[in-house]
Amino acid sequence: MTRRPWFVALLALAALPAAASAQSLLNAAGLGVPADPIDARSRALGGVGIGLQGAALLASDPAAAVGFALPTVVITAQPSWVDVQPADAAVVSTFQGTRFPSMGIAYPTPKLGVVTLSFESVFDQRYEAQRPVTVDLVNGPVDATDHFTSNGGVSQVRLGVARRVGNRASVGISAARYTGSVVRRLVRDFVIPAGQEPVEPYQAGGLWTYSGASLTGGVYANIGSFGHVAGSLTWSSGLEASPSSDTEGAAQSFDIPLQLRVGGTAVLAPGLSLSAGLTRADWSGIDGQLTQGTSVGTTTSYGVGLELSRASIFGRQAPLRFGYRKSDLPFVLNQGTPTESVWAGGLGLHLSRSGDFVRAALDLALEKGTREDAVLSESFWRGTISVRVSGF
Amino acid sequence: MIRNRTAAFLGLVVLGSAACKEVSPTGVDQTLLPDEPVTVEVRLPWSEWGSNLAVFGGFGTTDELGLGIVAHAYGDSLEAHTLLTLQNVPTSATVRDTTGTQRTDTLLQVLGGRIIAVVDTVGSAADGPVSLEIGMFGQTWDPPTATWDLAVDSLGHEEPWEEPGAGPVFNAVTTVWERSQGDSAVFQLDSAQVAAWSDTTSANQGTRLVALTGGVRLQVRNVLLQVDARPSSNPDTTVVLVANRLQMTFVYTPSAPAPDDELRAGGTPSWRSVFDVTVPQSLSEPKLCAAVTCPLELTAQRVNYASLVLRTRRTTPSFAPTDTVNLDVRPVFDRSTLPKSPLGTSLLTTSIGKRFAADLFTDEADSEIEIPITQFVRSLLSPDTTAALPPPHTLALLSTFEPVSIAFASFYGPATLDAPVLKLVITAGRSVELP
Repeated sequence: MTRRPWFVALLALAALPAAASAQSLLNAAGLGVPADPIDARSRALGGVGIGLQGAALLASDPAAAVGFALPTVVITAQPSWVDVQPADAAVVSTFQGTRFPSMGIAYPTPKLGVVTLSFESVFDQRYEAQRPVTVDLVNGPVDATDHFTSNGGVSQVRLGVARRVGNRASVGISAARYTGSVVRRLVRDFVIPAGQEPVEPYQAGGLWTYSGASLTGGVYANIGSFGHVAGSLTWSSGLEASPSSDTEGAAQSFDIPLQLRVGGTAVLAPGLSLSAGLTRADWSGIDGQLTQGTSVGTTTSYGVGLELSRASIFGRQAPLRFGYRKSDLPFVLNQGTPTESVWAGGLGLHLSRSGDFVRAALDLALEKGTREDAVLSESFWRGTISVRVSGF
Repeated sequence: MIRNRTAAFLGLVVLGSAACKEVSPTGVDQTLLPDEPVTVEVRLPWSEWGSNLAVFGGFGTTDELGLGIVAHAYGDSLEAHTLLTLQNVPTSATVRDTTGTQRTDTLLQVLGGRIIAVVDTVGSAADGPVSLEIGMFGQTWDPPTATWDLAVDSLGHEEPWEEPGAGPVFNAVTTVWERSQGDSAVFQLDSAQVAAWSDTTSANQGTRLVALTGGVRLQVRNVLLQVDARPSSNPDTTVVLVANRLQMTFVYTPSAPAPDDELRAGGTPSWRSVFDVTVPQSLSEPKLCAAVTCPLELTAQRVNYASLVLRTRRTTPSFAPTDTVNLDVRPVFDRSTLPKSPLGTSLLTTSIGKRFAADLFTDEADSEIEIPITQFVRSLLSPDTTAALPPPHTLALLSTFEPVSIAFASFYGPATLDAPVLKLVITAGRSVELP
């Protein structure tokens, strides 16, 4: 009975919309900004989603799930506060949003290993834009505003399994199905003076539903007491965007490139470790499939982080983490290669332990970063909160 | 206990995350939006959308108006007489006697009296003093069916007036009314005249009010009889006895002939103009074609605004409006049953209809007016497939309230150079695609 409050809290979190809230104007480029569904610990360590010590439920590192000894649920939330400044304007606009980049469950089994089921964001496509226009009618000019809204994104449902191979290595494999949808709608609102007859707004747009599949394989190997290394490879079928029956826009298919990730952690001293990771993908194959804009070609992301795992707060273990990460974003919105760079810090809180097992933990990360291309500059604060509950 | 605290903390985290106010990024960069759609105004001539204009009269009766009209040689020689019946004058009054006691006094001494006609100054047309005459007639009449020529015009029974226009009258009295002196025309009566007006021996006794001055048309809101009497129980006081009107109607001649090529709405009985609307399925407007592929299919989503554009016509002077005209437009459910087809609800957003100044049909005739019908046009382009019946294609132009005035509004018809026009504001653009 004492476990019920846990479930109430988890159900409340699970009931929140999984669709990501907008966090960047660069979402307008190509398929949007990659959502990077990694947890708060990886964020705090500047991670790229692979190569960290301990158990983790990450789409990019399927072998890392092997460390879960108890059934575990992990949910991650990510609020952001963003200031945007176009290069040709002095005005800074501000927006904010919260998204839930991943949630999943890991379930250890005696025969298969650790089975994982997760739901994660892949591309964030939410943004809005508007332009003032003047329409010339017979009785004179009429002011109007075009509002454009893109609402939705690409997500994945993933099923994976991880198991040990010998004493020092483990492997993991996961299969995912692309899901999610995007609604793109243009509305022209006419500004009619009070007392005059209303003019109905013009609306155009449609709904596209995403489908497709991907396969990720990964390995994880301990290197004695020095640390460990890990690597993974993700292959995707085409990402298919199918319009609804009442959508005028066309269906489209996008090639998602092979994505390679490597990472590792070195133990510098007891309770002090250094982690680093790198990902690489060639997006140039998608160029001919975009009706607007291009890809940047090959993207590279890397990050490094330092973890003090023996730190404590109020007598409870609370690892401290610091990191830096820099990522190329795959799609060009204006000119130049858009990049994102962040400095990060964070800590973990073990909320409940049972012997050697952590029954409940909370990881927090706070990032200060910038995203920019030749025209647009966004500076942001981004928080990440991961809740992990085990043994329910 | 620790678990409960932890769970509470988690709950707070969850709530804190969810409570963050969402503000979506909004860009003004043109590259963030799809191609700009084009908005144009298109005016379709009658031949491209309208057909089968028919004007029907006879909706409502003069007695439903609840007003009287008097006119003499007005406009095209309009003659109108107001007919009414009055209550019997009370024969007793409760008065305080010389001892201060309230008592009913039946021995009243009539001193004199007056008939007061209350004129609607806004709805009347008269430039100077107007001589009015009020008299009594004894002929049996039927207020709901009475006309200029007939005292009774019910089914199977017609009875003409002895003289057209509810004549002759007796005990007639006259007065002069002038707008500057207020809205009441007062006919003074001496005691003998009061006695005559108070005679109740004739159950059919009617009252007729007429104008003697030429070139006027007055709208009469009410008529009543006031009698001054001295009670026997307190001869030093005077009481006023009131006989209100029971029924009031009017008869007029000549009636407006049915129009040849005109849209007409209003009047008493009222006129309605009915016509079919067929919205073209596609357009090839040059400005549209410069932006999108032509011919452009006309869909409901592309129609931002639609209105009937009518050009006002000088209404025949006898029935020219003197007050604001409220017009309405409603779908006709079954044209084959006209003029008795039921009408749909108003297409306008206001319950009082679209208001137009009276001058538009007199001194400022030949002006363009618009009556919006956006939702009607949209329903024709995208019918509700779940509805039991297809959307009606026929519209009726009518007065918002029927009847409300003897005056009606006139518009140029389809065969004229100023035929009705269907105005459309259309927006079209290329389809919104994925980037």
